Amino acid sequence: MKSWQRYSLCIALGLVGGVVFTVHQVRSGLAEGAITNGAWTTGKSFGTADADALTRARVALGGLLALPAKEAMYFTARVDGAGKPLDGRCTYLVSGGKLDGRWWSVTLYEGVGWLVHNAANRWSIPAHAADQHENGLWSFTVSPDEQPGAWLPTGGVEAFDLTLRLYHPSAAMLADPAKGLLPTIQRQECQ
Amino acid sequence: MMRRWLLPLVVAAFTAFGVYQATLLATPYALMQVVMNKIGGGVAVNSFGFGEMATADNQPIVRPSPDLSYSVCVFDVSQGSVLLDIAPVPDHYWSVSIFDARTDVAAVRSDRDTGGKAARLALLKSPQQAPEGYEPVMLQHDRGIALIRILLANPAEYPAIDAIRRTSTCRSIIE
Repeated sequence: MKSWQRYSLCIALGLVGGVVFTVHQVRSGLAEGAITNGAWTTGKSFGTADADALTRARVALGGLLALPAKEAMYFTARVDGAGKPLDGRCTYLVSGGKLDGRWWSVTLYEGVGWLVHNAANRWSIPAHAADQHENGLWSFTVSPDEQPGAWLPTGGVEAFDLTLRLYHPSAAMLADPAKGLLPTIQRQECQ
Repeated sequence: MMRRWLLPLVVAAFTAFGVYQATLLATPYALMQVVMNKIGGGVAVNSFGFGEMATADNQPIVRPSPDLSYSVCVFDVSQGSVLLDIAPVPDHYWSVSIFDARTDVAAVRSDRDTGGKAARLALLKSPQQAPEGYEPVMLQHDRGIALIRILLANPAEYPAIDAIRRTSTCRSIIE
């Protein structure tokens, strides 16, 4: 092989490899630098000039127009409390206590972040819609089938994630989101 | 044999690194451009478009919140500053956020920040000046998006909230 052929081949490999590596890094989620709290992960640099290029590219792909943390924190769960991927053919109980912010809601998405078609036309459970219990706890059910009480339909999709939006989080939650009180996600039965 | 490939492989590594960095840097601009074209397609630049509530059949961006009413102004300060007058919605969370072409947040003002009063912002590029009564927001890029979020505790509130938000304005002052 001639010299120019070797250089041409390697430059082509570099171009393709660079694009493939970038796509992999951007699409692999916010694992690096993410803060974990139970089943939930979050980042603290959404929408800010402090975000590095990789975080900014990931947020642009998966959460464009996201607010900075002091205004709203976004926690995403792709697994249940036992670490198993969330499956739209299964039923989950999501429960928690008072969350440390002004207002919250949990929204169900599939893929990179699309609302799921379902017969109930319901895509989120806001704080006031969860079932309230005497002990100060709240809960709702995530399931492909209609459930008594507060129900968030999965639409039967193969995989989904839950995004918890916490608006005007407290100073303590902002300072250490890994230790804040967040809901638990318990898998029950599967179809 | 290996020596003849050594330098080309080094060139390949540098090329891959350069492509990685360039693609990372370009991604936010490219996606923001797509969103500005998509959600601003039916509305003039420097004016608000008042979208319907997000549903599975209406998702102008990824990860929309079905609990929030969104109003969007695609702005351009290249010909003059842009003034935002955001109507307050009593007893509801609402905010206006300014995103530049790189997806960075230039400013956010919510009902907590204004004490429930209207938000009045002037989007500027040096050396433009904010008119009296407007809070200056200096931008690094000509174009971007102003986004109003209003929380609906109950879907039945939508007609009343919709009427209020439509009094908010986004307008350019040609200088």
